[in-house]
Amino acid sequence: MKKKLLSIVLASVLTMSAVGCGSSAVSGVTEQTGETQSSADTAVPADQAGSEAAEGAADAGEASTEDLNVMLETPVESLDPQQATDGTSFEVIADYTDGLMQMDADGQAVNAIAQSVDVSEDGLTYTFHLRDDAVWSNGTPVTAADFVFAWQRAVDPEIASEYSYMLSDIGQIVNAQEIIDGTKDKSELGATAVDDKTLEVKLNVPVSYFLSLMYFPTFYPVNEEFFNSCADTFATSPETTLSNGAFVLDDYQPAATTIHLTKNADYYDAAKVSLAGLNYQVIQDSQQALMSYQNGDLDTTLVNGEQVDQVKDDPAFQAIGAGYLWYISPNISAVKELDNLNIRLAITMALNREAITTDVLKDGSAPTFTAVPPQFAAGPDGSDFSANQEMFSDICRYDADVAVENWNKGLEELGITELTLTMIHDADDAPIKVAQVVKEQLETTLPGLTLELQQMPKKERVQRMQEGEFEIALTRWGPDYADPMTYLGMWITNNSNNYGLWSNAEYDKIIDECTTGETAMDAKARWSALYDAEKIVMDEAVIFPLYTQCNAELISTNVSGIEFHPVALNRVYKNAVKK
Amino acid sequence: MSKRVYPRAFSFNQVGVIMKKYILKRVITAFFTLLAITLILFILMQLMPGSPFNDEKLNDAQRASLYAKYGLDQPIVVQFFKYVFNMFRGDLGVSYKISKNTPITQLIASRLPISIGVGFAAVLIGSVVGLLLGLLAAFKHDTIWDTLATIISVIGVSVPSYVFALALSYQFGFKLKWFPMLFSAKDVIGSSVLPSISLSMFTMASIARFTRSEMIEVLGSDYMLLAESKGLSGNKLIFSHALRNALIPIITVLAPLVVDLMTGSLVVEKIFSIPGVGSLLVNAIQSNDYNVVIALSFIYSAMYIAIMLVVDILYGVIDPRIRVAKEGD
Amino acid sequence: MAAEAVITEKTPYIPTDADFVLKGDKAGIEVDSNFASQSFWKEVVARFVRKKSAVMGLVFVLVISFFAFVGPSMNEYTYSGQNLSQKNLAPRIPVIEYTGLFDGHENISTTSGTKMVNYYFENKLTDVFYWFGSDNFGRDIWTRTWSGAQVSLIIAVAAAIIDMIIGMSYGLISGYFGGKVDMVMQRILEIANGIPRLVIVTLLLLVFKPGMLTIIIALMLTEWVGMSRIARAEMLKLKEQEFVLASRTLGAGSMHIIFSEVLPNIIGPVITQVMFSIPTAIFTEAFLSFVGLGIPVPRCSLGSLISEGFNSFTTHPYQIIPPIVIMALLMLSFNLVADGLREALDPKLKEM
Repeated sequence: MKKKLLSIVLASVLTMSAVGCGSSAVSGVTEQTGETQSSADTAVPADQAGSEAAEGAADAGEASTEDLNVMLETPVESLDPQQATDGTSFEVIADYTDGLMQMDADGQAVNAIAQSVDVSEDGLTYTFHLRDDAVWSNGTPVTAADFVFAWQRAVDPEIASEYSYMLSDIGQIVNAQEIIDGTKDKSELGATAVDDKTLEVKLNVPVSYFLSLMYFPTFYPVNEEFFNSCADTFATSPETTLSNGAFVLDDYQPAATTIHLTKNADYYDAAKVSLAGLNYQVIQDSQQALMSYQNGDLDTTLVNGEQVDQVKDDPAFQAIGAGYLWYISPNISAVKELDNLNIRLAITMALNREAITTDVLKDGSAPTFTAVPPQFAAGPDGSDFSANQEMFSDICRYDADVAVENWNKGLEELGITELTLTMIHDADDAPIKVAQVVKEQLETTLPGLTLELQQMPKKERVQRMQEGEFEIALTRWGPDYADPMTYLGMWITNNSNNYGLWSNAEYDKIIDECTTGETAMDAKARWSALYDAEKIVMDEAVIFPLYTQCNAELISTNVSGIEFHPVALNRVYKNAVKK
Repeated sequence: MSKRVYPRAFSFNQVGVIMKKYILKRVITAFFTLLAITLILFILMQLMPGSPFNDEKLNDAQRASLYAKYGLDQPIVVQFFKYVFNMFRGDLGVSYKISKNTPITQLIASRLPISIGVGFAAVLIGSVVGLLLGLLAAFKHDTIWDTLATIISVIGVSVPSYVFALALSYQFGFKLKWFPMLFSAKDVIGSSVLPSISLSMFTMASIARFTRSEMIEVLGSDYMLLAESKGLSGNKLIFSHALRNALIPIITVLAPLVVDLMTGSLVVEKIFSIPGVGSLLVNAIQSNDYNVVIALSFIYSAMYIAIMLVVDILYGVIDPRIRVAKEGD
Repeated sequence: MAAEAVITEKTPYIPTDADFVLKGDKAGIEVDSNFASQSFWKEVVARFVRKKSAVMGLVFVLVISFFAFVGPSMNEYTYSGQNLSQKNLAPRIPVIEYTGLFDGHENISTTSGTKMVNYYFENKLTDVFYWFGSDNFGRDIWTRTWSGAQVSLIIAVAAAIIDMIIGMSYGLISGYFGGKVDMVMQRILEIANGIPRLVIVTLLLLVFKPGMLTIIIALMLTEWVGMSRIARAEMLKLKEQEFVLASRTLGAGSMHIIFSEVLPNIIGPVITQVMFSIPTAIFTEAFLSFVGLGIPVPRCSLGSLISEGFNSFTTHPYQIIPPIVIMALLMLSFNLVADGLREALDPKLKEM
């Protein structure tokens, strides 16, 4: 099974606050509003809220008459919360739907539709008390039954939701897995409506971060009566969607290039929403997007690395963490030359990651020397798991001399003098660029190496990796949840994402201990065990980490309070202010 | 060989009957051609690498249940007949990936008219300007005008449409602000100007070149000399004699371009954010969204076949010596 | 209609098969062979040389081809050599730089206004010259443009040959035989045309390795359709004309009529169509890299250089200009040559 059990008690699994990227060219971190929801009794107020944030808070409530114009890279795939899987869809769904919990500026779960939560002592039962003033945009109150209906849809084998594992593997809700497998009826799901305003959820094992899953759109409510009235057209037009959130959808078509939402006057927290509406525009060409921004048609836009020269001095320019770790995966089991550790160490040492990020990508992406990327998972003491990028500098750094030394040793062991490898990569802008630099770097540093590049559509690349038909591949992985395990879980023996088919008994043991064993119960011990595991991955050069992706964005200086997150909801506009 | 029959031997009525029979036959074969295309696409889709559900985060069980949900686990023949059966009821299936579970008829209904509109404008601009340029070049053969027209059409073919699109958008959208840079449902006509012009460049260039080369040939031919010597001159000479004879290759070139343009262009749609079907098809192919690929290819083929039929009939109308339709075939 | 009156006065006589009996002695009916063998090619050359624009076009083609093979080795750079510290440098040419043109300066329009920069001086690269500038990896655009032109020229020739051999034969045969043959051949064409090109090339990726051969196979599968339509239309137009009938009456075989009688008469539209298939083929190659079938990076072609330069179009426009200009010059000269050829080859213009 891919999604590892995470039946662990973590003192605090925090999503780091909106990530500022490491590059020096980049000006800063996202603005944060210092506000917390009035009803948010579990929220931790953002302590580093600056003066700008305070200003934002003061302005909130003063209704703006203007829409915020936002650029989208891709169209929405689905507005059905239980069917959507992509970031764009999640973002739009979250604009007009509140779950039990929402994300605050720091990425932590704060109460939304839930007014309070009771957790049983054994951590197996969660009782959510819903707020009374939450209503759908057709006037019906939001009830516990809406959640039960939605969650049953999420595990219904007929619906076959791609994110059903959020309820089973990750959420550990009672009977979720059995329902997905078809051995139990969906009515047996461990989520029941005690009364209209009380939702009771039973878990198989304690899941410490359960509340933080509640802001994930798969867990958002759907009104059964309304759903049935839409027949098969649910969530395909403004008429077939219901809002209980900050905005109401009023212009949308499937795969539309423009989407419009208006402020929801009936929203229980409407006083805090300052924007008059949201205006999304899909623009796939980055140069057109920048021109639209310069024309004032957009308030925020993504910038391509090529355009950074044009915008780097602009105060509106920011690098926003996207969470993805880009890395090179060698096929250790199938290519005997790559089975040689010295060859692998030579390759990872020959990569000049700074050159890749500062000279080629230029979007603020941070060079990465750890198997778990920085800035998404915080430990028991609240510090970033991978803050120290020099942790493995004896193994993973740029050092051409040591690389050549290792290389020659490796070639000698193999009894060869030259080596030709083919690297597969996606036919997208960034991977094409990165692959070309990697080729140049490796070929100039390591004598006798020829790296051939083969680009292909992403689906083809993924399939080849899944089938093990590759020598070396440039790939990426985004975190599913805010814990190092979302990465480290990949390299255990037989994991389907362990493309190199590397296997190490000691590593498997540590990960197993940290997942279900005794270590799992002790947050500190688990943390250090995870470091041990990561060290094995790095020592063995199972992957060659390259960089952590950032998106270069322009956010107009008269806009503040957009909250950025590397996981789940990428952008939240509820507290955004446009002057 | 069957009896050779000359058109003059028929009354117009007879021609009409043959024509009707011919059209009927073409429509029937078109039906089978479309079926064949659908079947071939079904098979090719199976061969395509990847699947609509090959997200790295899905496990095999999940993928299997998604396949079961959409009936993709059934034998290809069963899928094909089900698809054809549903198609007769106006149901083209749902999208698996690019717009999950949206009926494809709904996707197409909102997008095809936009592509047709922008494409039609492009065809219109391209053929009118191209024709004029071609005529100019032919009549002023071997002069500076001819060279100028040649240069314009050479630029039209050697600069790809996306470069035109961005250049036009930069100059007339961004700098001069004459037209919107992006497509907008509120200003369909205004925001279609730049995309239509960028799309029309290739058509313009091809029509101009073909008109020129055909006209030069026709103008040098014996019967033009004859017509001139009979005292015909001016517009009548050009339009009813010369142009008429040059029309066949022009229509041959134009017809497929009409279909290509009206079914959308990926790059121009991408640059101007046009919600058309061109980008839909490419996205669908890339994400293995089988139903969308099949439906859009089907529409494309149907349009293409229809236009080819029209062209074959037009051949006969323009030049009665051409008889695509023959008795006894 | 007057035009018809001129050309289609026919008696209502309905000929039967019996009217068309092979005269025998096949060799004797090779019409005009005597005349053609004596002076045809000589005359073609003479007519071609007489047309100044055609000669100019030919010279251009030769010059571009020369640079395509020699240009890449005219300076110390290679098409793949990266130098990240010298990326995005504007064109700078020795001597000419003193005129203020090509001195390495460029205007960058930033969001906060336009500024003029000269990275050569800012980065103290006083003795570095990139004649056409350098790209975002610090590769020399001069070298890349010419080695790209090399690839594109090969593709252009391949496309022309494919068009001539596959497309033209298909169309001529379909049009000449008409009836059932035409019906079947046209339906096959419709089916081939109905399958999106991207699907075909994606499937090719499964079978072939990227490279020139694969590109040519992909072009073969997709590029012939346009030419076949033109050839068929011309054939339909010509096959009922007197000279074809005459030839047939004299007992000439179908293939002889198709390729020796009709073909020379449609050389105009055929050549025009070839001219259009060349840029299409060059851009198709760039599109193929989209699915991983194009020229593998870091090698390049004019098409891939244009699509690469496109990303920097508004930032560093000088990066897209060289490949586009070479492409346009190439097309212009091809067109001039084609025009000259068309007139030189046209049998109707033969001085009898």
